[in-house]
Amino acid sequence: MSSIPFLSRKQSESILANLLILLVCLFAMIPIATTVLISFKGERDIIRKPPIIFPCDTPTQSFDLSACRWATEGYERVIAARPSATSPLGFAITGRLIRTYIPNTLIYASVSSLLVVLLAGMSGYAFSRYRFRGHGALMTGILAITGVPLLTNLLALYQMGTTLRKANLPFYDDRFLIIFVYIGFYLPLSVWIAKGFFDAIPKELEDAALIDGCSPLGALLRIIMPLALPGMMAVFLLTFVNVWNEFIAGYLLVINNAHKPAMFGIYEFLGQNIINLQVLAAACIIIAAPMVILFLFTRRSFFRAMVEGAIKG
Amino acid sequence: MQRMIARRRERGWFRDTLPFWLILPTIIVLLAVQVYPAIYTVWLSLHERVPTGWNWVGINNFTRLFNMGLFNESMGHTLIFLVGYAGLTMILGFFIAQLLNRRLRLSGFYITLLFIPWIIADIIVGIVFRLLVVPDYGLFSGILQNATLLGPNGISVLTTSRPPALFGAFPFPPAPAMIYLILASAWRALPFITLLMLAAMQTVPNEIIESARIDGASGAQITRRIMIPIMLPTMVVALFSLTLSGMNGVGMVFSLTGGGPGTATEVLSYLLYSIGWRQLNFGRAAALAMLIAVVNWLLISGTLRLTRVQERSI
Repeated sequence: MSSIPFLSRKQSESILANLLILLVCLFAMIPIATTVLISFKGERDIIRKPPIIFPCDTPTQSFDLSACRWATEGYERVIAARPSATSPLGFAITGRLIRTYIPNTLIYASVSSLLVVLLAGMSGYAFSRYRFRGHGALMTGILAITGVPLLTNLLALYQMGTTLRKANLPFYDDRFLIIFVYIGFYLPLSVWIAKGFFDAIPKELEDAALIDGCSPLGALLRIIMPLALPGMMAVFLLTFVNVWNEFIAGYLLVINNAHKPAMFGIYEFLGQNIINLQVLAAACIIIAAPMVILFLFTRRSFFRAMVEGAIKG
Repeated sequence: MQRMIARRRERGWFRDTLPFWLILPTIIVLLAVQVYPAIYTVWLSLHERVPTGWNWVGINNFTRLFNMGLFNESMGHTLIFLVGYAGLTMILGFFIAQLLNRRLRLSGFYITLLFIPWIIADIIVGIVFRLLVVPDYGLFSGILQNATLLGPNGISVLTTSRPPALFGAFPFPPAPAMIYLILASAWRALPFITLLMLAAMQTVPNEIIESARIDGASGAQITRRIMIPIMLPTMVVALFSLTLSGMNGVGMVFSLTGGGPGTATEVLSYLLYSIGWRQLNFGRAAALAMLIAVVNWLLISGTLRLTRVQERSI
């Protein structure tokens, strides 16, 4: 590597490492980049043989920037806006993915992550601050459940769902079941992450508050919670993304089509648009982009949660 | 006065049992969603649905499962998938982590960029990779289907079936779809494994590496004799976590291949779905779930033991 003149061995090594890593990044981005490109092609360019990367060729030239035929047809067909007299905007979105499935997922993800934060915060705090009978056994029990995949429990959960539906409970529908299942499955890891965050807050702060006459619950709410907020935020984000991305439980446990989540929507889309690649690509981007953007803005939180839970998860 | 004492005593009781009340909701949820269904699955695996309800059949579900040709075939598929997926991800993860471990100025940027695939749902990753190999119109199909080197009509990843097996019933060599499924799964798992490896690499003390270098050890020797032994527990944890996700991940099979062409990518997790929800044979599916659960438990307890050892050594 010392063959590059004017550079020390260390510098040339670092340049080489940078180049290699850039190459890796480029390779890693190929599937995403092509999906974005496909989503902006028109039908005419999708069904070309042989396929083209950019919709920018002319009969004489293979790539001409001024001749590009970018189209938003894919997105239009996902959104499926129709003129409507009743809507204030003058049109109504009729695409079920946007109208039904994404709002459902938004509800499932936010409700279950909020409840996971609440429960994990409570028990993580108790595990971090108190020593009681069964402390170690309970912790090990929760640790053992951490990482148990959904798949093997699905049959039983499906049967439980059927029984519950037959019981005709008032107010009950599949949405309660699926939120409950999501909470149960993302809670164990969150308890561990939360405990780690509470362990990092010095106990002296709390003792001082207790001596000054604060109740334990008051100390938890006024002293500890504000300090633990970044950690709780990390738990929230991790659970939110996990629930947003979950497919198989939402697909099988929710029977009513109006309550199915976005990942079911995209699977349904795959069946309907097997050849309309631009529509499929647009749908993928519409569902995945919010999570990617959320990650880019909150990556510190993510990595913090990952470091806490990495070995355990 | 008496009432005040009583109230204080009550508050004291509440105060003493506070940790119990804080943990109780978590315990209830976990019992309902994790423990009870696990026991229920055991019960299901020993029963069979009949029009009037459920009939006890003992271990019949298991014996019938083992006699299914497709079960043995998908054991082979799962084995090939796991070896390819875990092996590829571990090797690539190790090398990328080694590049990132040089503390480059832009490391943070690279890590963020490389991490994006992990944020994308497996079912969407499946569709994204499918777009590239849709027969005739996918970008890679244009290249692969014209590669006469690979066969008279080239290869169409989603439709070319498995070549004749070399070792009896064991489905090797795998179909192109299986190789592609491995690539797509590895693409998504790579960021997480890279980060795990990187974290382990950074625990290797610099002094040891420096002194080894002064003693004249080569880069390869340092990697083999120092880095890998220190990283070994984390690498095993990474391997277990990959095996766990590979055993149980089903979204990508759904959207990328649907188990096809034919049954070429029918892995055990997908077989569980087809027996349970396509053939509506919950008893036999529960038997399969039990087998997968046993493997899961072995992997999880192995991980627990390893991380415990690590915690103790720190």
